[in-house]
Amino acid sequence: MSDALLHAKKVSIRFGGLKALSEFELEIRKGDLKGLIGPNGAGKTTAFNVLTGVYLPSEGEVFVCGQKVNGRRPHQINRLGLARTFQNIRLFKELTALDNVRIAVLPERTPLFERTRVEALCRGPYPGRAVGSALDAIDNYRDWWRALLRTNGFLREEEGIERRARELLEVMGLSHRVDELARNLPYGEQRRLEIARALGTRPKVLLLDEPAAGMNTREKADLMVLIRELRTRFELGILVIEHDMKLVMGICEHLTVLDHGETIARGEPAAVRTDPKVVEAYLGEAPAHA
Amino acid sequence: MKSLAPVAIAIAVLAFLQAATASSEYFVYLSLLVGVNVVLAVSLNVINGMTGQFSIGHAGFMAVGAFSSALVSQQLDQYQLLGFLPAGVGRQLFFFLSLAIGGSLAGLCGFIVGLPSLRLRGDYLAIVTLGFGEIILVVVRNSPTLGGALGLSDTPQHTTFFSVWFAVFVVILFARRLLASPHGRNLVAIREDEVAAEAMGVDTTSYKVRAFVVSSFFAGVAGGLFAHFQSIITPGDSFSFVKSMEIVVMIVAGGLGSTTGAVVAAVVLTLLPEAMRAVFITVGGSNAALAQSIDQLRKPIFGLLLVVMMLTRPQGLFGTHEAWDLFKRKKPT
Repeated sequence: MSDALLHAKKVSIRFGGLKALSEFELEIRKGDLKGLIGPNGAGKTTAFNVLTGVYLPSEGEVFVCGQKVNGRRPHQINRLGLARTFQNIRLFKELTALDNVRIAVLPERTPLFERTRVEALCRGPYPGRAVGSALDAIDNYRDWWRALLRTNGFLREEEGIERRARELLEVMGLSHRVDELARNLPYGEQRRLEIARALGTRPKVLLLDEPAAGMNTREKADLMVLIRELRTRFELGILVIEHDMKLVMGICEHLTVLDHGETIARGEPAAVRTDPKVVEAYLGEAPAHA
Repeated sequence: MKSLAPVAIAIAVLAFLQAATASSEYFVYLSLLVGVNVVLAVSLNVINGMTGQFSIGHAGFMAVGAFSSALVSQQLDQYQLLGFLPAGVGRQLFFFLSLAIGGSLAGLCGFIVGLPSLRLRGDYLAIVTLGFGEIILVVVRNSPTLGGALGLSDTPQHTTFFSVWFAVFVVILFARRLLASPHGRNLVAIREDEVAAEAMGVDTTSYKVRAFVVSSFFAGVAGGLFAHFQSIITPGDSFSFVKSMEIVVMIVAGGLGSTTGAVVAAVVLTLLPEAMRAVFITVGGSNAALAQSIDQLRKPIFGLLLVVMMLTRPQGLFGTHEAWDLFKRKKPT
């Protein structure tokens, strides 16, 4: 597990009496492109929510870049290098495409105190933790004043943020939409904008929740190429939830199939496609016309 | 530094205006009322408009600032600590100090109130702030130090045209620069979609609390300014729930999220009753009784105007636009 960027170990989650996910196992390394499929209500999005910290797993452990993240808040997990998109697009609708991405982009500032040291302190035992959060607060306070006084360093950072945001929009083929409000974009472009925003946080692992939903065939084909490109360009590990079998089979090198929270199959797409359990889950029991 | 140039310009302009308007007492009085309301509206807009968390107890934070700074001023006045300085300078230093203390206390209250309620989503903040506004008034009414139900009188009248409008300038500059920084963008992200903001690495609780503390701080400063020109402050109308709603109405009418809108609405809605009073007195003429009965139409007309406004332009005067966006240079894409 040492070099796995994202690792879920026997993760289960229960809502009351309902077991939404049981003993879910997943490992994503740099350069992986894996798929998570299953019929409606199989627990795919639940799995995403557990991985990103929206839900706390009832059992099992999740590691992001070697750190256990059970109980951490979503924004902390994001900072460790895990970014996601949403099934039901959650853009900042009243903001421009550029602002959507800018929010996600972290400024490259030189903090007063070394970040890694402060973070290590914050995670440590009590007295150190207090010092760590105090240093963190001081840095934050300083940053507010830099923003209010618009110091030269701050203005440079802002330029850097904007440059990177424009770059990402270009990669996702949205340069012509920079100043457009997110809600006015066509559906396919909204999906791409969400990916651009997720990339802004400089993730190591990208989770895409049905990125092709609502796209036409042409857009889907383009998206397949694009996702592959992103993986090499940003050196990502990618996990895709998708309904469209063609897309999944086309790009994923490894599939995990969920049904009713149980993992019913995992392996290469070709093997999974013929797995009787998978066929049953998707098409129902004992094929009638076979 | 280039970024401080606006401050220098503002000081010069305000000093000139102060000298130019000093002769008209009525104008100065109105401008003070307007200025205080602008500070309140712009600061409330930071939490309600930008961050999208509904606070309806702004007058409570104003009260904290008003009573604490008035008390500090009265105490400082008793002990002539800075007697060696020219009278004017010492007084303004004390005034500044008392405003800072008033604002900080209000900010502290904001922190205490905000921390538990902003962890939650939805309308909890509205309920908690509503309660806070009432609690503060009850506390004042029952504490002899703050004068009980009679409130504090004889607060030194330090507030000038300059101090109020300088505060207005500072709060507007703050709001504008905040919005043009990653911090402001994070606040707006929280307003637009809290779940997505959290997933993009925004520490939503912390940002909401910060916005709330800042907003309370400026409300406290506005309260301090108010106390130092009214001289007599009582735990009554000027800090009641009605006052809180008045400020909420201002920012809603101006357009939630627009600083320009908050400023314009605060100016118009503060002057409107005064203007209507003047009109009715002219209409009523020598007939005092008639003038008075017409005068009572002010509130219904005020309400009617707002209803019409909400029906015809629900996003408020400015929506989320700002006046300065008009002058922004268009960047080539």
